Amino acid sequence: MEHQWDFSAVLANKTLLLIGLQNTVVLGALCLLLGLFFGMFVGAARYSRNPLFYWPATAFVEVFRNTPVLVQIIWFYFAFPIVSPFEIDAFTAAALGLTLNTIAFSSEIYRAGIQSIHAGQWEAAKALGMGYVDQMRRVILPQAVKRMIPAFMNRAVELMKMTSLASVIAYGELMHQAKTVSTIAFNPIEMYTAVALIFFVMIYPATVAVRRLEGRLAAKG
Amino acid sequence: MGYEWDFAIVLRDADLLLLGLLNTLKVTGLALLFGVPLGLLLALLRLYGAWPVRLPVGLVIEFLRTTPPIAQLFWFFFALPILVGVEIDPFRASVLTFSLQSSAFFAEVFRGGIVSIEKGQWEAAKALGMDRRQTLARVILPQAVKRMVPAFLERAIELMKTTTLVSTISYADLLYQANNIAQSTYRALEVFTIAAALYFVVIFACSIGVRRLERHMARTGETTAH
Amino acid sequence: MTEVLRIENLHKSFGDLAVLAGIDLAVDKGETIVVIGASGSGKSTLLRCVNFMEIPTAGRIYLQGQAVGQEKAGRIVYAEKELAALRARVGMVFQHFNLFPHMTAIENVMEGPRTVLRLAAEESRARADEYLDKVGLGWKADAYPAQLSGGQQQRVAIARALAMEPQIMLFDEATSALDPELVGEVLETMKELADEGMTMLIVTHELGFAYTVADRVLFLSAGKVLEQGEPEQVLTHPQEEGTKNFLRGHGTFRLPAPQLD
Repeated sequence: MEHQWDFSAVLANKTLLLIGLQNTVVLGALCLLLGLFFGMFVGAARYSRNPLFYWPATAFVEVFRNTPVLVQIIWFYFAFPIVSPFEIDAFTAAALGLTLNTIAFSSEIYRAGIQSIHAGQWEAAKALGMGYVDQMRRVILPQAVKRMIPAFMNRAVELMKMTSLASVIAYGELMHQAKTVSTIAFNPIEMYTAVALIFFVMIYPATVAVRRLEGRLAAKG
Repeated sequence: MGYEWDFAIVLRDADLLLLGLLNTLKVTGLALLFGVPLGLLLALLRLYGAWPVRLPVGLVIEFLRTTPPIAQLFWFFFALPILVGVEIDPFRASVLTFSLQSSAFFAEVFRGGIVSIEKGQWEAAKALGMDRRQTLARVILPQAVKRMVPAFLERAIELMKTTTLVSTISYADLLYQANNIAQSTYRALEVFTIAAALYFVVIFACSIGVRRLERHMARTGETTAH
Repeated sequence: MTEVLRIENLHKSFGDLAVLAGIDLAVDKGETIVVIGASGSGKSTLLRCVNFMEIPTAGRIYLQGQAVGQEKAGRIVYAEKELAALRARVGMVFQHFNLFPHMTAIENVMEGPRTVLRLAAEESRARADEYLDKVGLGWKADAYPAQLSGGQQQRVAIARALAMEPQIMLFDEATSALDPELVGEVLETMKELADEGMTMLIVTHELGFAYTVADRVLFLSAGKVLEQGEPEQVLTHPQEEGTKNFLRGHGTFRLPAPQLD
């Protein structure tokens, strides 16, 4: 069967798709910012020697790293509202799932980044007479952050891909808009091809940037 | 809180959940079976193919790695059948999607493993008179594969998590079964919590295994530079 | 004397950088030639051009009277197949040994005969046994490289090259990566080979070894042979200013001969 490619329905519905794209970006950006911010504290808690910090943080990270993110989103949408004190719409459920997931993964990036700094750096800073805060602020973090950046960017890439899962609970992001339009216009081939291309164009530059950065960091040693 | 938990009603359908888990493992296993060899092929083509091969292969790998898996799955389930005029059931569409998708990731694992082998190994093989095929088969891949094992397993775990998507095209995996039970029992909280716990048990066990292996390999100096 | 290797007007450039600027050399069967020179003088590149680890920019190399490469339209074209066959006839020992870490000592030595020469398994094994014994490591046959000392690894690497029964052996700073106390055993093995009549082309910083073992010493400077001759002459009565400077640098700190016993 010879298929006649026809993207006119895609273009005719470009407003709907643009709304979807906007929702995708909003959801992704919000979850990234919240995830990176709170991930710092969870990462610190996992560094703590106090079991009251260490164990809850560890349990949280393991649960969210070791369950599928779609299950997390669905849990927050269908299960959590039953016990939740507040109303949960599709956006809230998706944002909750994706944010907590990002917190868990980024906390590990913080932790690994700090651990990757050679013990000699701590010792050298200590030998200069610096206190813990100065050691961290002046010596360790400036080196660690540089190494963390590619990992954070990778996380952002993964997150942007994951936002498409919000379509499963009917949040109107790009994937969901595409699904809706394709059932009306009956053009799944063009529609899903277009969506894949939009995601590719949006995400691919980031992956190229990550690789460049990793290459440059590796070259500097 | 006033909610009364009732797990008993859900556990009546435990066999359905286990059946779903089995299907999850089945899709994951088949995707690995096809994805790993295909990944090796793609990696070799991307590394050593002439440019008319190398460039498109690289583009396909990048495309599969940077588009959301759900978009790929929908494409193979909703779009491809129309394009080729052949009915594709949810199971086949799932295996097809995740074989291709994981092959792109495995290709990058293979490539990373191959390029991590020191130049001296290539030189020593070359100096003995080996050609590239012999060098790859006898010297490079045996070392690279060993180093790649943790990265492979991590990827396999990611794959298992991603296969939850098959529930959206009505393939009866664990998540799909949970959804069905939730609708028939009105016990979404219990069902999805149990389903999440099941996923956690399986995936966490795998993760711990991988971490052990990584630590063991780091001790014996066989780990790859990440 | 039969000539094993002849190098004619060899040039090698990396981009704008000319590393070899016209080298001529003929090596007779059984000769041991030591190449010395400061780092960057091109001595390693010279060695690596002989078995085409680096493709020469210009010039010609003959192995046993046979020119390597085909001349086509004024340029020399090297087919990968021809080069692989040539490398199988030329042994090379590297600074960093480059043993295959996933194979035992004996498997390392068997690998060439088995995969490249396509000898039967038993035959490769017998050959590998023979050459491992020759370097004094028959008793370490089943050890992996990681379980061997640097000196032992390098001796296995020598056995690996010898098992191809090459027409000439190349040693590229074979002792530079070794701890000082392990250098002796490797030099000893090399000396035995020289005494048995192996044709060898050696790049090294060990001037004492050059003095004792070499039939001829080449001093390389800026990609050219500045001076050559018998070790006695080049190392103790150098004529060229460059050679004198190099040797002066090597004699800055010299121990008096140790009083043993």
